[in-house]
Amino acid sequence: MVSTDIIAAIATAHGRGGIGVVRVSGEDLSGLANSILGKTPVPRVATLSNFLAADGEVIDQGIALYFPAPHSYTGQDVLELQGHGGDAVLRRLLGRCLELGARPALPGEFTQRAFINDKMDLAQAESVADLIDAATTEAAITAMRSLRGEFSYAIHQLVEALINLRMLVEATLDFPEEEIDFLEESNALNQLAAISAQLDKVFRQSNQGSLLREGLHIVLIGQPNVGKSSLLNQLAGEEVAIVTPVAGTTRDAIRQHIAIEGVALHFIDTAGLRVTEDEVEKIGIARTWSAIQQANAALLLIDAAKGIASADLDIIAKLPADLPLLRVFNKVDLLGHEPRVDAAGGVVDIYLSAKTGAGIDLLHEHLLRVVGWQTGAEGVFMARERHLSALREAKERLSLAAACEGRVEFFAEELRLAQNALSSITGEFTSDDLLGEIFSRFCIGK
Amino acid sequence: MIRTHFALRLTMLYPSQFDVIVIGGGHAGTEAALASARMGLKTLLLTHNIETLGQMSCNPSIGGIGKGHLVKEVDALGGAMAAATDEAGIQFRILNSSKGPAVRATRAQADRVLYRQAIRGRLENQPNLWLFQQAVDDLILEQDRVVGVITQLGLRFQAKAVVLTAGTFLAGLVHVGQSNYQAGRAGDPPSITLAQRLREIQLPVKRFKTGTPPRIDGRSLDYSVMVEQPGDDPAPAFSFLGSSAQHPRQLPCWITQTNLRTHDIIRGGLDRSPLYTGVIEGVGPRYCPSIEDKIMRFSGKDSHQIFVEPEGLNTHEIYPNGISTSLPFDVQVELVRSIQGFENAHITRPGYAIEYDFFDPLGLKHSLETKLIQGLFFAGQINGTTGYEEAAAQGILAGINAGLSAQGKEAWYPGRDQAYLGVMVDDLITRGVVEPYRMFTSRAEYRLMLREDNADLRLTEEGRLLGVVDDARWRCFVEKREAIAREQERLKSVWVNPKLLPQEDAERVLGKGIEREYSLLDLLRRPDVSYSDLMTLTGAGVGVGDSKVAEQVEIQAKYQGYIARQQEEVARHQHYEAMALPLSLDYREVHGLSIEVQQKLNQHKPETLGQAGRVSGVTPAAISVLLVHLKRSQKISDEKKSA
Repeated sequence: MVSTDIIAAIATAHGRGGIGVVRVSGEDLSGLANSILGKTPVPRVATLSNFLAADGEVIDQGIALYFPAPHSYTGQDVLELQGHGGDAVLRRLLGRCLELGARPALPGEFTQRAFINDKMDLAQAESVADLIDAATTEAAITAMRSLRGEFSYAIHQLVEALINLRMLVEATLDFPEEEIDFLEESNALNQLAAISAQLDKVFRQSNQGSLLREGLHIVLIGQPNVGKSSLLNQLAGEEVAIVTPVAGTTRDAIRQHIAIEGVALHFIDTAGLRVTEDEVEKIGIARTWSAIQQANAALLLIDAAKGIASADLDIIAKLPADLPLLRVFNKVDLLGHEPRVDAAGGVVDIYLSAKTGAGIDLLHEHLLRVVGWQTGAEGVFMARERHLSALREAKERLSLAAACEGRVEFFAEELRLAQNALSSITGEFTSDDLLGEIFSRFCIGK
Repeated sequence: MIRTHFALRLTMLYPSQFDVIVIGGGHAGTEAALASARMGLKTLLLTHNIETLGQMSCNPSIGGIGKGHLVKEVDALGGAMAAATDEAGIQFRILNSSKGPAVRATRAQADRVLYRQAIRGRLENQPNLWLFQQAVDDLILEQDRVVGVITQLGLRFQAKAVVLTAGTFLAGLVHVGQSNYQAGRAGDPPSITLAQRLREIQLPVKRFKTGTPPRIDGRSLDYSVMVEQPGDDPAPAFSFLGSSAQHPRQLPCWITQTNLRTHDIIRGGLDRSPLYTGVIEGVGPRYCPSIEDKIMRFSGKDSHQIFVEPEGLNTHEIYPNGISTSLPFDVQVELVRSIQGFENAHITRPGYAIEYDFFDPLGLKHSLETKLIQGLFFAGQINGTTGYEEAAAQGILAGINAGLSAQGKEAWYPGRDQAYLGVMVDDLITRGVVEPYRMFTSRAEYRLMLREDNADLRLTEEGRLLGVVDDARWRCFVEKREAIAREQERLKSVWVNPKLLPQEDAERVLGKGIEREYSLLDLLRRPDVSYSDLMTLTGAGVGVGDSKVAEQVEIQAKYQGYIARQQEEVARHQHYEAMALPLSLDYREVHGLSIEVQQKLNQHKPETLGQAGRVSGVTPAAISVLLVHLKRSQKISDEKKSA
């Protein structure tokens, strides 16, 4: 089994459809294409063709698209057979490809080949999966931006700026007898500050993307009849993902999913959190608590007329200390009050009516703000936790570098580590030819 | 010189057998021969001229950034270069002394004659080492193993391993202006026959060039218009066992520079420059460009520095470092005399460029043994490096491994985290060379761990196990190592109590008072606290007297956090470094590798997965694919074994 072997898969979704596509990739598909089409396909021209079985019988009629290497998705020869979208006919078509020497593609194998053949870098390859999995329009747009390489480009730019700075630092260390003070001349600290600022921006954009990708987990606290269902319905508004209770068992953490501004919100209900002797129920409660540990924010819903219940206070006391808390006072319409926000004193209090919808917009705004979502921010990158932790590492290194003042070899070390962290995102080893950069820029040597 | 006496050729078999034969008596060859002999192996050093053993053929200096590190490593393994420099050095300096210990490096100007004498004396007095003056024409091979050499006169010497250190002598071609002639270096014959033979056995040969400046009679210079550059006072010693008391009389260097007129003269001569008329095809080093290159590539610069370096105590010749050139002699005279202070300069030897054969180091293992011919080791400039220090370091490694190979033992080589020597060899055999390879500290990712000051701690124990470190050095080393450990323990156990610490002490030594109890070691970690100041603190006790021990205690404390992190990084990569890739593996058979990567890996044949990752163009994706492949074939072979 070598990388030149031919892989094939049904590329469209399972089930009935107008059109179904079988995709084939391999080092040389001319034989396979000839057998199945009865002729050599013209590269990159949509051609109406019969798809033939071994005995010459027509399996289906459709459009054949042929992309010879290297100008294809995978970088190998790619053949797309667009036939009619039925399970049976597609399976026969795939079967025919396998008969001709293809093997069924593993999940993600087309993208893997694209990655191996340098058609995309690691961050781009990951965004393919993100694009397909995207649950909201915003998430899909963002994944596409990453796939187009915008995220990778932003990282490249940072790496290049770092290499430029490192070049000066290394020149200072390796060529002390030259007449040039490389660091002084280049204003190294200013360069570092500029790179840090750019990195902060990329980090914010990626953090947004991470929120889009992962969604927000919000702990919902409130007594029965305080209006939790109506609140969620109001929050969801006319978005697609309307309240869908998903409960593995009634004893698991009950979660409800809605979407605001394209951000998926997962609510963890704490209603079942009570003292119990039931062993099974205890397991469910433990699971809810562990879900709470991972949450991004907590929302406490209170009947404005009744005030905070002591049971709610017990739960709040057990929440992680740094978890942002929103207090929502419901049913203000019954008291004849206007909706309002009171953010004085660190805790955000929102007064609204879930029933009439008055004040829901305030909750929208604050819910997203409290977890760091910036409404209408441009240039969001679909980032994974892996990317965020690499960006965090790079940020940390740069701030340590800034603190190295005068100790050039430590300064150099922090910059090296920052570059390593950034390069791990795109999975590329940069040429890192610092010496090459030095020699091309400065006249060095006796 | 082509031989004309084929008919007179003797075919005598030399009566005694050797374990190791070293061909070449330059910096690589002498270290190789000494190392092999120190290991107790019967060693023969063959040179075309015993008078030029240890010759410094280019500039008269040893060390510098990265290079000084290599010299200290060779020293830590019992090598000769540092000790010889202590006997021959006429100016010593620590470069980067205002920066941290990791990038500080020792550099010395050496008297050529004294240096040669120091090396020759060591070679002649080394037990198990025989010298023989005769050029080597051929290797004796049995299948793919070397078993001896044949000299110009037809003498056949037998050995279990052979180290070839032919420098620039292989098919050397010297250029001065439009004229050129075959030579090994100015004044010495080249090795044409051997070069042809090596080409015949299909070792991958390429060509580089390097050059030297014209030498000048110092009496014809006006030093009063130059800037004096004195050595350090006190002068540092190079060797672990050395001292400044060994140093001969010290001399300063001088600095002057080229000017616009110099540049005009050079431009006017380019039509007769072998570099700019396409006569020289070999690639030269970018960090040591000829003066014509500097002027053409950096036309915006109005002047370039020239370091005026004395060649020795008993000669008037000086080496004007910075104006290496292969321009015609009349242009050399004019350009030299345009330089401030050089108006009446008399050139004693013209500058020249030399093209020479080297072997693509991708054909070597980490031990510096060739992959094609067992028992044949290459070291020095023939591997595409430049510099005495790079040559010496490869020489000692090749000598050790030739010795190990002759004894049927496993090869030894230091890792990238252990020595600059390890970095250099790994770079050479993994990435190959596109220009003559010179050491720089920026080539070492674990630079903070690889310092001049701890070369002994990094390598001497291994050297002792290999048999290249003698008793005297070992005793001194062990003593120092123990003294460091003792003092570290003491500093850890002495606590400074804020209540008992006088305010005046605190401010003077620590800058301000302390708020809680600290050990002396904790306080030493602070960037601004020096060991000597710390010892003056009330209650600090008596520090160590040996300044080398004190220095080491202080550096280790200050670097501790960084070192720990680099060690973690090393440990993370260790896994891959330990995974061996069989030389027989055909990468075309590995599922999932792109064709480009397959070709690269088949060409390089890396020894470990870690090394594969450093081959240019090999991506992390390819490494994961290789990892899977290795695990799978491991599983298959395990299943076969159990079946």
